[in-house]
Amino acid sequence: MLYLELLVQGLIQGSLYAMIAVGLTLVYGMLRILHIAHAGLFTLGGYLAVTVMNATGSLGAAALAAMASAALAGMAIYRLAYQPILDKPPFVALVASIGLYIALEEVFRLVFGPYGLAFAQPPLQTPVAALGLSLKAGELAMAATALIAMAGLYAFANHTRLGTAWRATVDEPQIAESFGVNPVRVRYLVFLIGSALAGLAGLFVAVLSNQVEPTMGAVPSYKALAIIVLGGLGDVRGSLVAALALGVVEAFGTIYLGDVLDRDALAFAFMIAVLMLRPQGLLGGR
Amino acid sequence: MGAYELSLFTVIGINVILALSLNLISGYCGQISLGHAAFYGIGAYAAALAGKAGLPFAACVVLAMVVAGSLGALVGGISLRVRHDFLAITTMGVGFLFLGVVRSSDWLGGELGISQIPAAGFDKPMYLVLVLACAALVAAFSVYIKRSWMGAAFDAIADDEDTAGVLGIDVARNKIVAFAIGTALAGLAGALYAYYTRFIGLDSFGFVTSISVLSMVVIGGIGSVWGVVGATVLLTLMPELFRFINDYKLLVYGGLLFAVMRFAPGGLAALIGGGLTRLRRA
Amino acid sequence: MMLKRLLPAAAVLLALAGAGAHAADPIKIGFMAPLTGAGASDGNSAKIGAEIAVEEINRAGGIAGRPLELVVYDDQANPAQAVPIANKLIGQDQVVAAVSGSYSAPTRAAAGVYQEAKVPFISAYALHPDITKTGDYVFRTALMGEAQGRAGAKLVGELLGKKKVVLITLQNDFGQALAAGFKSAAQRFGVEIVGEYEYSIKDRQFGPLVAKVASDKPDAVYASGLFFTAGPLVGQLRSGGVQATIIGQEGYDSEQFLKIAGAAAEGVIITTALDRDSSSPVTQRFIADFAKKAGFQPDMVGASANTAVSVLAAALKEAGPDDRARLRDAIGKVEIPAAVGAIAFTPEREARKAVQVQVVKNGAWHHYAVIDDAELLKP
Repeated sequence: MLYLELLVQGLIQGSLYAMIAVGLTLVYGMLRILHIAHAGLFTLGGYLAVTVMNATGSLGAAALAAMASAALAGMAIYRLAYQPILDKPPFVALVASIGLYIALEEVFRLVFGPYGLAFAQPPLQTPVAALGLSLKAGELAMAATALIAMAGLYAFANHTRLGTAWRATVDEPQIAESFGVNPVRVRYLVFLIGSALAGLAGLFVAVLSNQVEPTMGAVPSYKALAIIVLGGLGDVRGSLVAALALGVVEAFGTIYLGDVLDRDALAFAFMIAVLMLRPQGLLGGR
Repeated sequence: MGAYELSLFTVIGINVILALSLNLISGYCGQISLGHAAFYGIGAYAAALAGKAGLPFAACVVLAMVVAGSLGALVGGISLRVRHDFLAITTMGVGFLFLGVVRSSDWLGGELGISQIPAAGFDKPMYLVLVLACAALVAAFSVYIKRSWMGAAFDAIADDEDTAGVLGIDVARNKIVAFAIGTALAGLAGALYAYYTRFIGLDSFGFVTSISVLSMVVIGGIGSVWGVVGATVLLTLMPELFRFINDYKLLVYGGLLFAVMRFAPGGLAALIGGGLTRLRRA
Repeated sequence: MMLKRLLPAAAVLLALAGAGAHAADPIKIGFMAPLTGAGASDGNSAKIGAEIAVEEINRAGGIAGRPLELVVYDDQANPAQAVPIANKLIGQDQVVAAVSGSYSAPTRAAAGVYQEAKVPFISAYALHPDITKTGDYVFRTALMGEAQGRAGAKLVGELLGKKKVVLITLQNDFGQALAAGFKSAAQRFGVEIVGEYEYSIKDRQFGPLVAKVASDKPDAVYASGLFFTAGPLVGQLRSGGVQATIIGQEGYDSEQFLKIAGAAAEGVIITTALDRDSSSPVTQRFIADFAKKAGFQPDMVGASANTAVSVLAAALKEAGPDDRARLRDAIGKVEIPAAVGAIAFTPEREARKAVQVQVVKNGAWHHYAVIDDAELLKP
């Protein structure tokens, strides 16, 4: 029974990781940039969700604000920060992104104060009893949202014109362009989708811990990197599997190996072990 | 010179060694590391434990370099298996693994760190002179390596590993050597840090430190010794220079990292180098 | 390009800093705290608490007619910055003494500098045991972690009569010391530890931990944490079906904890430094002043920094600002009512004061008990 509960908790945590990591791996797949500032968009989503929810009382409005603000900020980051330095070596964008993330963290502190914010009336707190597990409505909603988002993304990529253009741009940019695909439009699309998901993840973290803080992006900023590497860098399906696997490893690890290694170290030990066996990531071929 | 300047310049000297040590790995050999602070920490812990066990200062420093360098060579071995961004994130993982191991090891002080590290046996001005001398040696060594045959091999690997291999360069050996030398020098910086603060704890060797060292290297102009030294001095002084805008100084720091990369991706070296070329042309 | 413009500004700044040694009328006290970066919330509260103490002393005419001045620097909770700051406060600002409103690592690094320069230094709430062991110029106004842990064991076993306890420990020096103290005294108060888990200061999602604790079925949970970890932890323990009494410590002690944990905070009991229902006029005045200045209710960090500055002021009144050895001796002999209640120092320069036990009732901290057991609380 406890094992089942730990497994479910791991999958819930994993679905959160997945929502954050998908945007990161999409960006990497397209631009080969390790987009650390992505974690800042996650924080932005969290802050706007709490602020809007407290002002309007509407969870729908909060979700919309979280997704829209993160999506806009994400596209702005692409246009103003990454696009001009795409032809430079990868560490240039990496350090630019780190600088941006640090600056974003500080903007949140200066605008919203150092103490963080909490919901006045936390939404989705109702306990849901299923299979003898005690879960919160928010946890189920997060897992369901992640599932729907991933399924939607898959359908979009495989069954729409824009989706085909996108996949073509990732796999064969030159050929795609010669067939009249506008790569810039596709890039905006990637930032829009990935950032909106990060913003939504910010909302769910705010709901589950009932707080947002300027530094809440710190852990996602590096753990999402571990996930996309585990997934094979740029491979969306791989990242999804890696996110869930890491969630489960952490759930069992923190309980049964907690006095050997802490949570972060466990996650990275897992990552290094996998990479030594499969340098291309969990699902990577070759 | 007052105690304030002495302590500030000592920190600068230590950071210069640390940044130059990463420059050997990431700048010369092209292997981006996001976990360099781990080797800084390994050096600090090795020196601190040896010092507390009664070894003289010089022996502690050498030991710190040997321990950090050996473990660094091991991580260099990883770089044979994973490449590019995979490697960057694997080294980041090594950094977190280091923190996790120290955290759960009582003989390494765990969460409490190591206190009462014996004095190095110099007064503060002499210690500063020693640190600056080490920094100068490391800078000279960096210049020497760059001009040596090994520097050329590193350069070829940084450019394109596969081509370097075709050209008959032993890629594996050179990569491991770059990691071993770079991490041993990080160990030197760590030992000097341990004897400077006389206590060490996990907080000083985390991901944030790894990132700030990488920032020093990249802002300076990756691969350029003088650029990296300049950027290190500047970035270390930043919190002091920006005290008057206390509340905004971290914002300015982040903004500066971004702005330099966005508008001068070659870092200080390219910025100043470009300026000189333009002057000569005019 | 930006750098080029900054360089001359930096040169001017360095020149100014060198020229600023005018014969100062006010008595300067150094103060460092993390004001930017991850520790900014605690640093901000500590600064407000310290400033209130200074303002109050100056309103009452200062020290022998001279006003106090707080010289504040941001250490970003970074030991490598704390050392130059300590040197700067001593050498350039010429402070007579200093207070740390920062965490253990920077405080410990700075302590060595103050000890060497023979400048009295008070750690407001950094709990690492080695801070005061640095030397005879270093004091602390907070109770050691181990003492608080022992008080926690007494609270659980004797005052609450709970026997089966799960220990949830924060992975830092504060959490480790609390756990060590709690375990050392558990047996004496008949407490049996049925489960022991650790979490990182970065964790906010505790699903697996909560599931395990629920399966352990404890009578009480002794969980160390800071408001930003304790808030989500308590909320998730309750929504995960754990009904056992939750015992916390001074890290919980802030208004923000109540906001985050919401209804789940009700009934949580903590050992801390600040008694909201205190009859002491000093404490009540601090509570009112803090709320007015900060715009939110006071916390333990603010009360501790306030106490540290008040202790220093009391010693300055006694010994004057000119002889630091006399000032040090005077601090050791201070016995005053402060924001955290009556405080004095042990020969080890640790705080001698009672542990306040507070409980959350109707969404606010209230008096529950006092643990004032000299034997149990000795460092």
